[in-house]
Amino acid sequence: MKRLFGETPDAWGFVLPSVVIILGLSIVPMIWSLILSMQSSDLVTPARWLGLTNYRVLSHDPAFRAAVIHTLVYTVLFVPLSIAGGLGLALMLNRRIRFIGLYRTMVFVPFVISAAAQGVLFSFIFDAHFGIANAILSWFGVGPQGFFADSNQALLLLVLIGLWSGLGFCVVVYLAGLQDIQQELLEAAAIDGARAWGTFRYVVWPALRPVTIFLAIWETLQALQLFDLVFVTTRGGPLESTTVIVFFVWNQAFQLFNAGYGAAAAYVLAFTLLIVSIGLRFARRNQTEEVGG
Amino acid sequence: MTMQLMGREPRRRFLPFSPWHLVLLPVSLIFALPLFWLALSSFMTNAQINRFPPTIIPNSLHLDGYRYVLNNALFPRWFLNSVIVSVVVVFGNLVFGSLAGYAFARMRFRGSKLLLTLMLGTLVIPFQITMIPTFLLMKYLGVIDTLGALIVPSLVTPFAVFLLRQFFLSLPREIEEAAWMDGCSRLRTLWVIVLPLARPALGTVAVLTFLTTWNDLAWPLIAINNDHNYTLQLGLTTFQGQHRTQWAAVMAGNMITVLPVLIAFLAAQRTFIQSLTSSGVKG
Amino acid sequence: MPLNEPETSLISRRSLLRGGLSLTAAAGAGPLLSACSGGSGSSDGVAADGTVTITMWHGQADQGKATLDKLVADFQRRNRKIKVNASSGGVLADSMLQKITTALSSGQYPDIAYIFGPDIASVARSPQVAHLGKFTKEPSLRWDDFYPAARDAVTVDGEARGFPALVDNLCVAYNKKVFKAAGVPEPTASWSWDDFVATARSLTNPSQGVFGTGWPADGGEDCVWRIYPMIWDAGGDIVNKDGTKVAFDGDSGLQALTTINQLGKDKSVYPDTKPGSETMYQIFSNNKMGMVATGPWQLPDFVDNKTEYGVVPLPTYNGNPVTIAGPDTWTVFDNGSARVEAAVKFLTFLTNGAQDVQWASQAGSLPLRNSTAESAGWRKHVSSTTGLDVFSQALGYARTRPTIPTYPKISQPLGQAIVKMLLDKATPQDALDEAVQTANAALATG
Repeated sequence: MKRLFGETPDAWGFVLPSVVIILGLSIVPMIWSLILSMQSSDLVTPARWLGLTNYRVLSHDPAFRAAVIHTLVYTVLFVPLSIAGGLGLALMLNRRIRFIGLYRTMVFVPFVISAAAQGVLFSFIFDAHFGIANAILSWFGVGPQGFFADSNQALLLLVLIGLWSGLGFCVVVYLAGLQDIQQELLEAAAIDGARAWGTFRYVVWPALRPVTIFLAIWETLQALQLFDLVFVTTRGGPLESTTVIVFFVWNQAFQLFNAGYGAAAAYVLAFTLLIVSIGLRFARRNQTEEVGG
Repeated sequence: MTMQLMGREPRRRFLPFSPWHLVLLPVSLIFALPLFWLALSSFMTNAQINRFPPTIIPNSLHLDGYRYVLNNALFPRWFLNSVIVSVVVVFGNLVFGSLAGYAFARMRFRGSKLLLTLMLGTLVIPFQITMIPTFLLMKYLGVIDTLGALIVPSLVTPFAVFLLRQFFLSLPREIEEAAWMDGCSRLRTLWVIVLPLARPALGTVAVLTFLTTWNDLAWPLIAINNDHNYTLQLGLTTFQGQHRTQWAAVMAGNMITVLPVLIAFLAAQRTFIQSLTSSGVKG
Repeated sequence: MPLNEPETSLISRRSLLRGGLSLTAAAGAGPLLSACSGGSGSSDGVAADGTVTITMWHGQADQGKATLDKLVADFQRRNRKIKVNASSGGVLADSMLQKITTALSSGQYPDIAYIFGPDIASVARSPQVAHLGKFTKEPSLRWDDFYPAARDAVTVDGEARGFPALVDNLCVAYNKKVFKAAGVPEPTASWSWDDFVATARSLTNPSQGVFGTGWPADGGEDCVWRIYPMIWDAGGDIVNKDGTKVAFDGDSGLQALTTINQLGKDKSVYPDTKPGSETMYQIFSNNKMGMVATGPWQLPDFVDNKTEYGVVPLPTYNGNPVTIAGPDTWTVFDNGSARVEAAVKFLTFLTNGAQDVQWASQAGSLPLRNSTAESAGWRKHVSSTTGLDVFSQALGYARTRPTIPTYPKISQPLGQAIVKMLLDKATPQDALDEAVQTANAALATG
């Protein structure tokens, strides 16, 4: 049997519990949401079938277009910065000096603090009139900024806060990856006369590739799904400048009772990602394949 | 600046004073800022906290917040609920995530690419939409308003599977192939050889999964009604009234929620430093 | 060919064991744990001996919860056949809407829930919201004893769908210390919006970080409802009779937005962009803001912070007193007639006489019934809190927002317009036009 099916039966045994829980519990929600996206529904009364009307209306909706742009801006800024920042910090923290455990824990603190508490903290710090941030800026002779009250600054500020709270995650993952690198490789490189940059470029960076790929994908997904931070600080404002896609979805579903429309917006995001990932797969075919996909 | 070579001695040896402290200290302080603010605020009274502009350093310390929190009869119950849910979820993720991650990393099998993509694909629809059908599913299973509703959907997550897969991929295959050749089953190889090597990865999954579950508010808010079944985060929201908030209690509650986790993290730093693997590449 | 390869079964025994164990544990623990909890909403709630159990999600914490628990215990003592499971429902009132929507869509919902006034019309779309028309006709209920604003707030399409839970209204609180420091005379009851703007200007002191007044600037409901008294005063309304178009598109809306814009231009208003409006009141309490429109719920806070304050009615354009009431509701849901009846009985008790006084005093609210307002208990409470009498009197001329499901579609664009005025980012006419256009378009799609 092994010859016929290879390892497939064993492998399926390994993945079965995960498949059952992850896919099993997600299939129904995904299908339910898809159907919802083709209806006019407020979730509490019987829905009306609309086919693709929601999608058509979305394509003309300036508010949705704005939400997409805001989300993309956030993602394009957030993802590279969080990977670079995470790696940089991890390299700095990957050494045995006194208090290193304490430093690592401190960097990790934001991840532990709830979004609500972060919202309160940053609203105080960046208050346009009474906040510490403007006070500090005035020491350097910079005039008071609007921060969360300025529609040009609010989104960028969210990127900063998102980085501040999300870097800890990248650091922890990269630290684990750095620990994984085989001693022998590092020693061999040192013996060959490689210095820090060389070792990094030819040993560390390639060895971290699977982790970097993971972080790139993971952080992109997180950035595209930004919600909590917006909810506790700006509620999509000021003047809707920080309305991102998921906030748009939430607003449609739970404030305006247009759940079908909100679901359609969510699926636009989903379909786009699907197309992008299929495109990436075709691009990868030209490169060497990894085992197991 | 050479990179520190790791693992030479079983005990740590520190440089007398490393210049890195000058960089790491300010950087870490920036990140740890809210913790100080939280800690300070938790020892203030409501009146002190309500001052505007906010008091940074209070001129007197009070335990009002802590007293309020600990007097709450249900607080220990909430703590226990959070612990139960988080621990079970971590366990599930470690076990099932390792199994699946290993299969994806090392075994060739039909449909593996598709499965992995599908698993990641489930992350694409935002929670705000999927929470209602998930609620319906949990209702169907009869676990709404119980801890089961909090455990089942998170028992294994794409995060755990994906991260562990990536880690397993980065391990050198030679050790496993040797074991496989010697007649070890895949499962034994995983259990005896791979997992010990993957301690940093497992630790990472454990910590991050624990924290995500510990901090989760949105789903318990929907799935739990009865205040005996609240998690800690949910319970803390009850200190905020519609118009008036017991800020001291909120801060104290947050400290009680956050501190044990951080202390455990600090203590667990040792497991993030991998033990010697001298087996290495040699034949 | 590897020798001695151990047989591996199709699904390795260990993983099967593990998987089975966990799933069983999860499924088994579920009912186990639910036995420990109270559980919500069983089928028809009527036990064998005729005891009816109803569930209430009150969304209250702290003080409110304590008061309700007492009142529930009181009720259950007098009504042995009714058991009330009161809990916050896992949410605070602000998140109740999302929770109820989920509950309704899943078919598992409580009997009573605390729903904000503007939300009840949206929730009442659901056929599972109870119809209380036949109950309100009962003379023993004394439905007319409730203030008109309170009654209107729970009436959708001409029929009551719940009981009033809380009434309040907007008046202006002013900080005596700030006024004294600026040498500005305290406001009087019959002041105009021009007076208000001028006073705000003279109170504002940038070097000291003092603002004349404040206004929530997050575009949410607390931001929007403050403009309605101005619109009503200027002769407009929120929607027209059939709810198809907004009714503030003319001079009324323009006048209101211009007044707000003036505050923004003068920089005499603190635009509170943080959701929840807490910062604004903190600034007031800490003597950095001269006056702010607020409701009776904020008074206990001022008292706690030892702020020296006074209360006057809202300013007007034309001298006719007008304000807005923002009642909240105990919406009743249909889980069978036995439970609806029990719920009505409980809510009648809760909103009657002494209970009303207890609930209103702790919530920083106003009495729901005329009779309560005249009672000795309430009079005593009013005399002990500065400014509460002004709010109490204002109830007589307070108006409410319309209970139509499309209300949020009007409120959101109007909120954006107000924020633009506060931040001085557009002209009043432009902001008005955009808001009217967006709102009308949304109303048209229904």
